Amino acid sequence: MKQLTRREALTRGTGLGLGLVGVMLSVPAVGFLLSPLFLKQRSSWVTVGPIDGIPVGKPTPLVAEVPVGTGYPTPPVRRVVYVVKKPDGGMLALSNICTHMQCDVHWDPQLGNFLCPCHGGLYDIDGNNVGGPPPQPLPQWVHRTSTDAAGRTILEIENKLNESI
Amino acid sequence: MIISRWFTRPFKSRLRSGADWFEDRTGATELLHKGLYEAVPKKGGWAYALGSATLALILLQLFSGIFLLLDYVPSVSEAFNSLDYLRTSDGFGAWVRGLHLWGAYTLIFVIGLHMLRTFLSASYKRPRELNWVSGAVLFFLVLGLAITGAMLPWDQAAYWTTTVVTNIPHYIPFIGDGIRTLWRGGDFVGPITLTRTFAIHIWVLPFLLFSLIGAHLYLLRRHGEFGAWVNYDTDPDSDEEKQIGERIRRAEPPYPTKRIERRYAAPRETVPFFPNQLFKDVLLSTLLIAVIFVMGLISGAPLDGAADPATLNYVPTPEWFFLPLDQFLVVAPQNPLIAIGVFGVLGIGAALMLFLPFIDRSHERRPLRRPEVIIPALFMVFTVIFFAVLGINRLYNL
Repeated sequence: MKQLTRREALTRGTGLGLGLVGVMLSVPAVGFLLSPLFLKQRSSWVTVGPIDGIPVGKPTPLVAEVPVGTGYPTPPVRRVVYVVKKPDGGMLALSNICTHMQCDVHWDPQLGNFLCPCHGGLYDIDGNNVGGPPPQPLPQWVHRTSTDAAGRTILEIENKLNESI
Repeated sequence: MIISRWFTRPFKSRLRSGADWFEDRTGATELLHKGLYEAVPKKGGWAYALGSATLALILLQLFSGIFLLLDYVPSVSEAFNSLDYLRTSDGFGAWVRGLHLWGAYTLIFVIGLHMLRTFLSASYKRPRELNWVSGAVLFFLVLGLAITGAMLPWDQAAYWTTTVVTNIPHYIPFIGDGIRTLWRGGDFVGPITLTRTFAIHIWVLPFLLFSLIGAHLYLLRRHGEFGAWVNYDTDPDSDEEKQIGERIRRAEPPYPTKRIERRYAAPRETVPFFPNQLFKDVLLSTLLIAVIFVMGLISGAPLDGAADPATLNYVPTPEWFFLPLDQFLVVAPQNPLIAIGVFGVLGIGAALMLFLPFIDRSHERRPLRRPEVIIPALFMVFTVIFFAVLGINRLYNL
């Protein structure tokens, strides 16, 4: 084996030290930066309210105070639930988050469509994307209904959508 | 002993020997002289003042930004309130916000003119390729600062800007959703989104910006402020021009030795930077800062209502400098097309701009003699303006 000169040994030592510092700094830094990818969503159900009075065929916005699923605890976020009652007795609890760029869509009675003001996305009454840039239908909130003591139908939603957008 | 003797001398002598001592230890005057009396081109001084104006406006942003930091709180529950307080309760708060906003508008406008000037005069050609590349990266950093700054007030405009901008990575195949999650600190815009954007706006981008400005200025001094065709209107084969070539070859710093490049290494006529160029620099910067000063006072910076994710009648509109990009999102429907459109076309456009000096390698500098780069560039500028007009039309009809 060839004898190391002092110069070579010092060069290698410097490189080793710098490499070690690089590894020590990258492990926590990369882990910290990537950690949101592995966060579990906090799941919780909230009551939206009674839906008996909502007319069939007229999408009606209700506002729910939805707890955030990620990040440190903050006050619940106001979110819109569009309740759409179908003539056949079915019911949709559409989110109003546009699948294009996540702006807030609203029901436009004149157009007979959900309209996104940001880039002009259009959805029909069932939430299907029918015009403009949106790539997929409006998702629904994960929801369930129950009957309270007074016999009213109460809508509850979980703080997540049934499809990822 | 030496100090006590110094005090016995007359005042003027004390001052002079004090200054000599300082100069001996620091070399400050020498440095100042080197900076002030550098030879700069006699022609084109007003156009060159755009570069120093860009620097002045960036420093103004740093200045007004520090004042905003004294009050602003980067938290979803406090950000809007802190700026609302600044607006209503601090006599100068609205003005300082106005300075920062109008400073940003003016900076983007002036940096665009600076790039246009450099492009038209072909100053990006050898040996100044990296001046252009560093400048183009600086331009993108300034755009990044502008868009992250627009997200911070956490009013309606900021909230929806944040939502749309942080959703753009979603359309990058495979890794896009991951990037969106990392930026937002979750699947949806939330408290972490604001602190991350704040950190990017306050530390990450300015750190990169000022490091690159250092490199940009170093390269400017290394190669000289020459290179534009306006400085060289003579025949390179004339005797006079050959003499200039000889002079340049002996000059510091060592300029290129190829004859064709020598011609563009130093202009025919030069003047000292001070006071000839500095006067133009200061005048243009003063004019621009005066505009910002006045617009910041009379127009200020808007603050909508507090962010409300459950809004049904708010119409989000992008800042004017992002209108062409926003319009791009409108005309690129359906998922794969968005990916191809936004990232493909814009990516190619950005790459062409960034690597322009390596694409246009001819020695020709006169704009009319190099239509092969001027015409595609004008086409790109026209496209951007066209998309802006489409966007204005769309927002106007909304």
